[in-house]
Amino acid sequence: MTLLATEGAQPQIRREDLVSDLSTMFSPQQILQDEENQRPFECDGLAVYKQMPWLTVIPDTLAQVQALMAYCYKQKMPVVVRGAGTGLCAGAMPSAYGILLVMTRFSEILQLDADLAQARVQPGVRNLALSDAAAPLGLYYAPDPSSQIACTIGGNVAENSGGVHCLKYGLTVNNLLSVTMVTVEGELVTFGGPGYDTPGMDLVALLSGSEGLLGVVVEATVRLLPRADKVQVLMAAFDSVTAAGDAVAALIGGGVIPAGLEMMDKLAIAAAEDFVKVGYPLDAEALLICELDGTEAEVAQQLQEVETCFNASGATSVRVAKDADEAARLWLGRKSAFPAVGRMSPDYYCMDGTIPRSQVGKVLTRIAELSEQYGLPVANVFHAGDGNLHPLILFNDAIEGDLEKAEALGADILTLCVDVGGTITGEHGVGLEKLPLMPYQFSDEEVAQFGGIKLAFDPHEQLNPGKSIPTLKYCQEYRSIQHD
Amino acid sequence: MTDITSDLQAQISQAIADKVPLDIQGGGTKSSLGRTSQGRAISLLEHSGVISYSPTELVIQVRSGTKISDMNAILAENKQRLIFEPANFDSQATIGGTVAANQSGPCRPWFGGVRDSVLGIGLINGLGEHLQFGGQVMKNVAGFDVSRSQVGAMGTLGVMTEISLKVLPVFEAEVTLVSSMSITQALQTMPQFFRRNLPVSAVSYWQGNLYVRLQGSASGVDSAMQSINGEPITAEQAASWWQQVRECQVLHTSPEKVLWRSNVAATDVHTLCAPDSFINWGGAQRWQLTPKDQTQPEGAVQYLGGDRTNEVNGPVNRVAQKLQGKLKTAFDPHAIFNPGRLYSWM
Repeated sequence: MTLLATEGAQPQIRREDLVSDLSTMFSPQQILQDEENQRPFECDGLAVYKQMPWLTVIPDTLAQVQALMAYCYKQKMPVVVRGAGTGLCAGAMPSAYGILLVMTRFSEILQLDADLAQARVQPGVRNLALSDAAAPLGLYYAPDPSSQIACTIGGNVAENSGGVHCLKYGLTVNNLLSVTMVTVEGELVTFGGPGYDTPGMDLVALLSGSEGLLGVVVEATVRLLPRADKVQVLMAAFDSVTAAGDAVAALIGGGVIPAGLEMMDKLAIAAAEDFVKVGYPLDAEALLICELDGTEAEVAQQLQEVETCFNASGATSVRVAKDADEAARLWLGRKSAFPAVGRMSPDYYCMDGTIPRSQVGKVLTRIAELSEQYGLPVANVFHAGDGNLHPLILFNDAIEGDLEKAEALGADILTLCVDVGGTITGEHGVGLEKLPLMPYQFSDEEVAQFGGIKLAFDPHEQLNPGKSIPTLKYCQEYRSIQHD
Repeated sequence: MTDITSDLQAQISQAIADKVPLDIQGGGTKSSLGRTSQGRAISLLEHSGVISYSPTELVIQVRSGTKISDMNAILAENKQRLIFEPANFDSQATIGGTVAANQSGPCRPWFGGVRDSVLGIGLINGLGEHLQFGGQVMKNVAGFDVSRSQVGAMGTLGVMTEISLKVLPVFEAEVTLVSSMSITQALQTMPQFFRRNLPVSAVSYWQGNLYVRLQGSASGVDSAMQSINGEPITAEQAASWWQQVRECQVLHTSPEKVLWRSNVAATDVHTLCAPDSFINWGGAQRWQLTPKDQTQPEGAVQYLGGDRTNEVNGPVNRVAQKLQGKLKTAFDPHAIFNPGRLYSWM
């Protein structure tokens, strides 16, 4: 793994001395150093990558975060920032030598501005807690990653998280107005503001999805949206994934932008149906779940257009939810797809590529071939509206070599996504997991430019070292191996 | 409709060798924005044309010298539109300049600005390297978001060669309602359009009139009209009004005057809200003309006119200045791109 990453500078200090220094800033309960207490922090949602933290610090004031960063800057000590730990790319995996900075105690909604439809929040506020708090005002926070019950806004900013409603309402970056962060030197700075488009370069955008490499997010201002008067869900079955893909293109090309548009393939349908029994058609090769929202009048008109389009595109059945309960059940199957697939296999590995929508038939056909070649089943769950594909590779970690096989199959799927004009990650991030594939998507010059940005913010590469940007040495070796 | 990327790279390499700064130019419609900058001209105007456009993907990729008006025409043929409604400035504005100057139209608070449409770019950095960031897909979090970081940078980080943008279908129906009120009433009324579930796409106020535009499905617009105060104006009147707003023609500048702009919280009641202010973006964007010797109002950008050697974009916090200075150096180590255009110190 050292091949992949710029290792954080080795500590110049013994851990006992570090703890002694930190105890001037933190109470003993805020510093975790034993294995038992630190065990829960050894990985994020991608548990195959593990590293016990060297030292875990849990601040509860801004002054503590600033003091800690200023101290670490002097020591050139690596710092990995962690929120709820729901990330799926090992982006929050601790450093072997350094501090794990846990931000979950910053869980206050500082201001809910009903007049402006904005919220100012601390980074540890949970995504769903924000929407719940805004509900009495008739507002909600639009980005809704699957982990929204647990994941935090700080983590969402770090990963530029998406969700099932991205096509219409955007990712985190599109709903973010300002970010306040503590720099690696311990200084406080705010980018953006309560208005739109502050003058100068857009550093809010640069920080979104920067995976904890540029600073410690300590506050964010996000916009809230009015809840729709009406939400309608329908489901359409198709006898091939290509037909379902064509239906998506026809719908969007015809001018309808649904709030959510999800596709599941046969294996995912079977897994979900077996798990939650919502009445999915088991003979279908592909299923589309489409959500429409807006005023009563808008939704009624769109519903007609969508039904007409799906029928014209060869849907074998179309089912419109009769009420909110049925709509919730149709969604439940999709939302339970990951754990449902998990029941079919001891382990699964979730991929996250994005492709142009027109390539869905070609890519799913090729994934089926790769699946057969590697001897590992793949279930496909797909944000069809925005081309974000989540192939779930089923494997058994107890079988020697199975994980490596799953990883190799995953890498083949992601390079396929790049080959058809897409990307290795749509919403989960690069972290440690996808680092090896960065040179496939980016040239050495592009990787070097990322490195330059990193050094502008973090000259000693202390923040989340070894993640997201590969070393040029690795890129060159990667290319020489590809040529052989 | 040509690709002059290699020529642009050669000009940049020459500038590095000669230690001469470059003044990046497009259609020239934004030459009076930002600070004055001296340098050898490098023109992107010839570097134009659509590289790819697939209506069902909702993505268009163009060379950066492509005119906004040409893009609008191509999209309209497919019943699609640029989402952020940029000015076309007498058909001279280019997409490169629009992205660099962060020029979004009246719909910005509801449908997003330039940054929300940008999916990817080609960029020649200050080493003369041609780099690609982002792409043509809706969701892409691989690497830092260099594409959106160019928005508002006024060309200080490099020369954009290609830009990929998300596009959307045109609206089926549109209507504008007008009602009379004082500016005090208008400032109270406008923010409500951020929290009501209505197909609102623009809200502005000028000389006693509040303009509310609805755009969406025919049934949606029709039913929304019933719940908003105001009288509908004709389609011609509406088109003329929103064109003035989009093209920044509501307030008439002259050499004796300075045009100030401030992007603020829509509920702000202190910044640029005199009776003769023009209010856009549902209260979140304010415009005002003053005699040119007036001092800079707090929180305002010196948008047009006056002394362009001033810090026209306003003061920058010390830490933000340090980070932006280092970021500039990371992209442009020889400081050749538009020196001083954004800030005196950059």
